[in-house]
Amino acid sequence: MAMIRNQRRHRLVALTLILPFVAVFALVFAYPLVEVVRLSFTNATLIGGGEWIGLQNYRELLADKLFYTSLKNNGYFMLLTVIPTTVIALCIALMVQRLSGRMQALALALFFLPYILPVSVVTQIWAWMLDFQFGILQPLFERIVGKPIPVFKNPYWVMPSVAVVTIWWTNGFNVLLFLAGLRNIPSDLYEASALDGATRWQQFTRVTWPLLWPVVALVLTLQLILQLKIFDQIYLLSEGGPFNSSSVLLLMVYREAFQQNNGGYASAISLVVFLLIVAVSVLQYQLLRIRGRR
Amino acid sequence: MSGVVLRNVAKSFGAVNVIKDVSLTVNKGEFGVFVGPSGCGKSTLLRMIAGLEDTTGGTIQIGGRDVTHTEPAKRGVAMVFQSYALYPHLSVAENMAFSLRLARTSRDERERKVREAARILQLTDHLDKRPAELSGGQRQRVAIGRAIVREPEVFLFDEPLSNLDAELRVQMRLELSRLHQQIGATMIYVTHDQVEAMTLADEIFVLKGGSVQQSGAPLHLYDDPDNRFVAGFIGSPAMNFINGRVIGHTPQGIRVLAEDGEVEVDLETRPAEGMAVVLGIRPEHLVPAESGITVTVEMAEELGGNAYMHSRLPSGGDIVFERRGERDRLEGQNVRLRAEAGHIHCFTTEGLRLR
Repeated sequence: MAMIRNQRRHRLVALTLILPFVAVFALVFAYPLVEVVRLSFTNATLIGGGEWIGLQNYRELLADKLFYTSLKNNGYFMLLTVIPTTVIALCIALMVQRLSGRMQALALALFFLPYILPVSVVTQIWAWMLDFQFGILQPLFERIVGKPIPVFKNPYWVMPSVAVVTIWWTNGFNVLLFLAGLRNIPSDLYEASALDGATRWQQFTRVTWPLLWPVVALVLTLQLILQLKIFDQIYLLSEGGPFNSSSVLLLMVYREAFQQNNGGYASAISLVVFLLIVAVSVLQYQLLRIRGRR
Repeated sequence: MSGVVLRNVAKSFGAVNVIKDVSLTVNKGEFGVFVGPSGCGKSTLLRMIAGLEDTTGGTIQIGGRDVTHTEPAKRGVAMVFQSYALYPHLSVAENMAFSLRLARTSRDERERKVREAARILQLTDHLDKRPAELSGGQRQRVAIGRAIVREPEVFLFDEPLSNLDAELRVQMRLELSRLHQQIGATMIYVTHDQVEAMTLADEIFVLKGGSVQQSGAPLHLYDDPDNRFVAGFIGSPAMNFINGRVIGHTPQGIRVLAEDGEVEVDLETRPAEGMAVVLGIRPEHLVPAESGITVTVEMAEELGGNAYMHSRLPSGGDIVFERRGERDRLEGQNVRLRAEAGHIHCFTTEGLRLR
């Protein structure tokens, strides 16, 4: 009886509890999203109105050579980071896991340390280390390639270099995810498989890998989304240069919006990036899930 | 030929000696049970036989081969874990065939063996399911099936029934007994439950503090324990212990003053008068009588056919005695109990048996 009488009150409480979130969400997410969609069909500047021009922005974008260069660079960057960082993190996690107690914590802390640095510090460290004249890593280049290389000013070296910096910076988090995944595999499965006659490699391929697959799929998907959104490192290290050889989609958005004052055009690009990320990540996650079920 | 032979086996983790100089033999085809309270080293000992723990000292032989330093897979043992340790991503059939796949057994043979094991364990309808879709008892049977297909010389069971509910546990106990008769392999079984030990074992090894206290057939341990620990551990409800003092000798043994009652005990040795002893009497051997040790009945556990009377000595100790077929209630009453001289065990205050 009491339940029925309190229904109205119940609803009121529920409403007041979700209202703050809904309000904030509407203000800082839903409204801007709708505005971006609307802006992408106008020739608006960053601030102020603009006229409705239909699909003009999109037509322009599809004819923009820089868009294709940036798209290609985004793809190249994903290739350089997503799978390598996953493989490296898995290897590190497998090694760290074999350490005991205190040593494990220490090793994990060391690998995680770069992740807590802000991006500007990370890029500054690497800019110094790779400095053409005084960089501590240049002797290494001299030994391998024969001459020092201004990596962030060289069209061939710039993307791989940014990729290395990115992997170094974000790898600790993936190690952490893998380590959590590895700890979830009960140790008696390894004992059972040892009794069943599995070698270390067979234990990895037949026990660890299939049971870790959900974590691998998660890491790959998170990395894919993260690396498609690459901006800060490029902006801070090479500013898209030289000759747009490290230009990426979000850098294009930034330039169009905040340097060229083309709010409408920038909105169109960011919407395309958004749809691209959604499409690719959903596709990838589904593919990985199917493989996982096998 | 012998099944499993342990000679002076020892194991220490750092400075802690977990297993101290254990020597024992489980004959080929026998069902041996390691039983003891938690922390007695029984699981460690089993894992040493399996090769999952290093052996610090001594030798382990399986089927006449010294396997002390052999890797687990080559010892000819299969183990059933307490947690079952089934591969969650594989079907029941794949779980059972796992070791055969690793050994590159032909597909036909693999299927034949898995089907045979499934038939024995009544798992034929579940071969395509994943472990998560099975009940506890079925998972347990898959774990056993995984051991069977390997056709090992020795089966090792590490508390395999402790995750099952009471009813299922009794059922699986019977199935294990039947399985042992059916395949006739050597089996070693670890449990802390002395009922499991009594019902399954050909030979029980009672462990405490990393060493074997006594070994032998279940009824031998029950009737003739070597020390107070074994006497108290084997049997349910446990044996009653009453402090007493030797007050005289009889032709067959001694007379003991225990609490307020005088008790005669058959004994070959004749401990000196005045010596403190501990009498051990099983619940079924205590009967109400005109004279004897006085107890106050506090509670009755009526089981229908028999009843366990929980009662208290004047000095505070617990006494349990059994009654059969009587229906009158004794709660709150004072009862005098006696036992036949031949049914009373006598221990020193240190816990050693006096014979």
